[in-house]
Amino acid sequence: MAEEFPFEISPMFEGERIRKNDMYVELSGPKSIGYELVRAKPMDEVEDGKFTLIGPDLSEMEEGSRYPLAMIYKIAGELVEEDLESIVERRNHDFQNYLQGLMHLNQRYDVWVRVSKDAIDKGLTSFEPVAKAIMMLFKNELPFIEKVEAIYVTDQAEIKKEMDNVKQIYRDRDDRTRNLHDEDVDTFYGCSLCQSFAPSNVCVITPDRISLCGAINWFDGRAAAKVDPEGPQFPIPKGDVIDEESGEYTGVNDIAKSLSNGEYDRIKLHSFFESPHTSCGCFEVVGFYIPEVDGIGWVDRDFTGTAPNGLPFSTMAGQTGGGKQVVGFLGVGINYFRSPKFIQSDGGWSRVVWMPKHLKDRVMDDIPDDVADKIATEDDAADLDSLKEFLDKKEHPIVERWEDEEEELEAEETSTQTTPAAAPTMMQMPVTATGAMPMMPISGNSGGVKVILKNAKITIDKVIVSKKNE
Amino acid sequence: MSGMTKEDRIYMSDLNTGVFSIDELENVQITIGSIVGAIEQQMEEEKDVGPNSKPGIAGLRNWDFKLFDRYEPVYTPMCDQCCYCTFGPCDLSNNKKGACGINMEGHNAREFMLRVITGAAAHAGHGRHLLHHLIGIYGKDHALNVGPSNIIAPNTQTVTGIIPETLGDMEGVLDYVEEQLTQLLATVHAGQEGAAIDYESKAMHGGMIDHVGMEVSDIIQISCLDFPKADPEAPLADIGMGCIDSTKPVLLVIGHNVAAITNIIDYMEEHDLADKIELAGLCCTAIDMTRYKMEGGGTPKAKIVGSLAKELKMIRSGAPDVIVVDEQCIRGDVLEEAQKLMMPVIATNDKLMYGLPDRSDDSVDTILEDLTSGREPGAVIFDFDKVGELAPRLAQEMSVIRKEKGIKALPTEEEFKELTSRCVHCLACELACPMNLPISDAMTAAEGGNIEPFEILHDKCIACGRCEQACPKDIEVVNVIEKAAQKIIREEKGKMRAGRGQISDPEIREEGVNLVMGTTPGIVAMVGCSNYPDGTKDLYRIADEMLRRNFIVVMSGCSAMDLGMYKDEYGETLYEKYPAKFLKGNLINVGSCVSNSHITATTIKVAAIFAQRDITGNYDEIADYVLNRVGAVGVAWGAYSQKASSIGTGCNRLGIPVILGPHGSKYRRALIAKPYDTDKWNAYDARNGQTIDLPPAPEFLLITAETVEEMMPMLAKNCIRPSDNNMGRMIKLTHYIELSQKYLGVMPDDWHVFVRGETDLPLAKRVELLKILEAEHGWEIDWKRKKIISGPSKQDISAQPTNIKRLCKEA
Repeated sequence: MAEEFPFEISPMFEGERIRKNDMYVELSGPKSIGYELVRAKPMDEVEDGKFTLIGPDLSEMEEGSRYPLAMIYKIAGELVEEDLESIVERRNHDFQNYLQGLMHLNQRYDVWVRVSKDAIDKGLTSFEPVAKAIMMLFKNELPFIEKVEAIYVTDQAEIKKEMDNVKQIYRDRDDRTRNLHDEDVDTFYGCSLCQSFAPSNVCVITPDRISLCGAINWFDGRAAAKVDPEGPQFPIPKGDVIDEESGEYTGVNDIAKSLSNGEYDRIKLHSFFESPHTSCGCFEVVGFYIPEVDGIGWVDRDFTGTAPNGLPFSTMAGQTGGGKQVVGFLGVGINYFRSPKFIQSDGGWSRVVWMPKHLKDRVMDDIPDDVADKIATEDDAADLDSLKEFLDKKEHPIVERWEDEEEELEAEETSTQTTPAAAPTMMQMPVTATGAMPMMPISGNSGGVKVILKNAKITIDKVIVSKKNE
Repeated sequence: MSGMTKEDRIYMSDLNTGVFSIDELENVQITIGSIVGAIEQQMEEEKDVGPNSKPGIAGLRNWDFKLFDRYEPVYTPMCDQCCYCTFGPCDLSNNKKGACGINMEGHNAREFMLRVITGAAAHAGHGRHLLHHLIGIYGKDHALNVGPSNIIAPNTQTVTGIIPETLGDMEGVLDYVEEQLTQLLATVHAGQEGAAIDYESKAMHGGMIDHVGMEVSDIIQISCLDFPKADPEAPLADIGMGCIDSTKPVLLVIGHNVAAITNIIDYMEEHDLADKIELAGLCCTAIDMTRYKMEGGGTPKAKIVGSLAKELKMIRSGAPDVIVVDEQCIRGDVLEEAQKLMMPVIATNDKLMYGLPDRSDDSVDTILEDLTSGREPGAVIFDFDKVGELAPRLAQEMSVIRKEKGIKALPTEEEFKELTSRCVHCLACELACPMNLPISDAMTAAEGGNIEPFEILHDKCIACGRCEQACPKDIEVVNVIEKAAQKIIREEKGKMRAGRGQISDPEIREEGVNLVMGTTPGIVAMVGCSNYPDGTKDLYRIADEMLRRNFIVVMSGCSAMDLGMYKDEYGETLYEKYPAKFLKGNLINVGSCVSNSHITATTIKVAAIFAQRDITGNYDEIADYVLNRVGAVGVAWGAYSQKASSIGTGCNRLGIPVILGPHGSKYRRALIAKPYDTDKWNAYDARNGQTIDLPPAPEFLLITAETVEEMMPMLAKNCIRPSDNNMGRMIKLTHYIELSQKYLGVMPDDWHVFVRGETDLPLAKRVELLKILEAEHGWEIDWKRKKIISGPSKQDISAQPTNIKRLCKEA
């Protein structure tokens, strides 16, 4: 079947760069106009396989020239709905790059396409086979598309005429996505794709919680589940709400229990401390509890320094993963910072005390104004003392919590007199939902243990004497 | 320290080992001011845990036997005899046994194991030498640092259970390695193992041990010598004979151990000689020279000539003024060849001394005088400060002396004509040539004035010199080739990315999405030496094809160098063309031979990071994970050395298949499974202990391929793993089918056995393939939904395959 096309189709061409000297024609892009758009239509409004071109075809274009380009696909099918448009549309980028001699960059009204001289030499004379190949790939990957029709436009005036309408469609779509929340749907999606490496991990994907890897949102899950409900992305009936604040649902708990083989039976979607979501391994950011200030810090993969607790990303990220529920650490995708339900059961943004500057800048727009300048970065706080000082000075909401806790602590202190010497427990051991919170290593002058030795025999296996830099 | 007077204080220096009472401490309060490195401390406490810490030579026999049950040893004896003892030589052909009772399989398995432990010993010996040296300078407490990694030494931790933090900790690791090597070597003695299969298991043990020895070697030098630390931006180094500026004094170093060379570099910097002397290297010392002091970037402090294949060529070119050797892969006749051209040789390592006098205790000036005057052809010097000073000074003086004496290396035009016309075309040289290169025809062409055939031979010739000894007319064939290829050699100016060391944790996490989503179809590690059937261009073809297909390509050692020798139509090497992160479509150079350990380490880290497996002393569980989940394949296209066999075997035990080039069969054995033997292709489902079917992948652990064309589809196919999700399987199958069609011109005959459902089918060919499945294999297709109703073998995508029963729930 692939032989019908005057080009090869393979994912190996995805990385193909068409340099200026190798380019036959440039379409849309920064120096021209264009867009790509997928529209869901009723069955009778789509003529399957039909291709229409408005404007000049490739054969009429001169070498080295530039034209505008719009690509419109109308899709129809029993299961096709408007919410799937953006999912299909995004695949136009991937699939056009599968075609040898075609380079597709960006999306929506920023699309930028180049056709190589090589492709023309090999016999590509028209947009028709391009559109046909894309339609074939759409239908192969997403069999819920029963009919598809393509309209390509290379006529400047025609594209200009539609541009405002098209932009409005994108805007409406974005608004719908932004305004869709966990409470608005009755189905979440589970994703088990990463079980090939993280055998027991299951991602629960909701409108307010993108997958940990950042690659799959609720709409992706919905599309994939339509293709194959028994596939790696599957519907999770939400069930009854147990606690809306922390995001606990009977349906999610049921699936957690069955997919973890009973290892844990509760998942609170928007909780950091109690029954948090499991972590796989490719999370972009890891959150960590800082007991000294009772707040949460976040550190991402690109941050090469150490967080105020003295630890780099790699060490803290190493404490969680493998589809295990580890209290005190939470791996998330960067997009989760944009969720209105971002760890809302633990105070949301008002519990966040530290993050690297470049990460903070990236999500700045989503941090509530009243707390934005109170979250420290490596420029403000390099260690726990300076962090404490910063939070105190900026009157971070967390400071109120300290005052409450101090009283409680005082009451406990007297009883620690005979506690056996305990090295500060570190997190290596995965702690299940009901387990205790692991403590961070005590550094600086916080904490301290009193030990009394009477008639003791101490056998020292090895004494390491090393220089201290103080 | 409240409650304690100055006099009460115990000083650490007063402490001794042993048992002592401290009853005078009654009622003393100990205040712990701060605890530094609590994580490390906790790890320390977990030392020696795991079911298999420090396994002895039979410790992982069960795992090996599981592998051999599927991947059966296949022998290709190089000779029918055993000459080990004076009962022999014994003829072992036709199922005869030797005087000691050993049979052909047993002897060949023993021979293979001997290759493996020889290679492992070379790396471990290198590591021990370096460790003594570095502890001497930096002390035992010097902290190990490999970059952003939660696990500093994955191989070490997995095998030994030791979690090293300092140089001193590595001593215990090497103690273990050396004990194992001794035990393994003992079994080579007459009258030890009676069964080939147990020698095979011992070979696996030696391979595994090798990765620990390599890891120690590289981690300590990374930690002490300011090498790049998991740095994707490691600088590009110049490589190729054409880069060497022979108008300057040329100081050539050869070998694998950079210890003494760092003193030379330091001396040159301190005395402002860096621009005045051309410092060039061959083999892994060259790679490690370009890593020295490159943490945080910079311009590498030396140039690379190339791999072992360039050794004789470089010496014969006459360019070097002094040669410094250390250890491994150095020709036995370097001194002899150098002497002819008045190049003094300085030996710096006790593993290779050429019979030269030990001048370690003499003054630099005295040695300099003896060498410049020609009284001595070279010297052994173990004092690296002296080497550091002597070598640059000697190079400067020799450069003048050799010019004055008019030392001439390659033949003149007239001599070249005479040499080519002297050839009687007896073909003795071609028979002697390991590559059987067409030397005779090239001689004829050159006689007629066409030197192009010799130019082509230059890239394929490994300059072993066997042709010259075979020649009845005493033609120095290597010189003829090199003379003819002068124009090409001048253009040999490539780039190699300096070795970056480990793959960092953040990189692995970032790449995780691609591995899961199938956008990275697999990892191809191109390792080993330069015994290529068709020259260095082979490597370029393989790497470029796989990189375009978004595989991650990892290089090391000689392959890493040779890849940098070839440029595309834009004049770029692949190192310049592709970025160097651990990401799809990226090209990585981990570093020298000993850096190979980072490749296996990466698969171990994948298990630790994504599956949160406790790797400590837990080798078989991790190997089981890698075998069933991590789509990595090794290619040792030009493997020649014993080290290549140990590196490959270490990969094999960890579940990573390796493809060797055509010379690989000379290692005497392969490990090949039978795809059609369905009994062998099953595992347990870790969720419930039930037996499940597996696809026949990978279908070998060690195999030889004859041509690049044959190998290309093998690469993609053997990245298939039982646990692939449908997106991963789809992309792997896509590349397998495409590579088979591209290089062999046919659809592979077994693609359908990897199809579990329609979502595994390559996207662009889905309908076409469904038709084939229906027509040729009788599968039932629901054409409306494009779904497979029946046909594929029962392979549950959600199953968690393991070959180890204890890892199953409710087993």
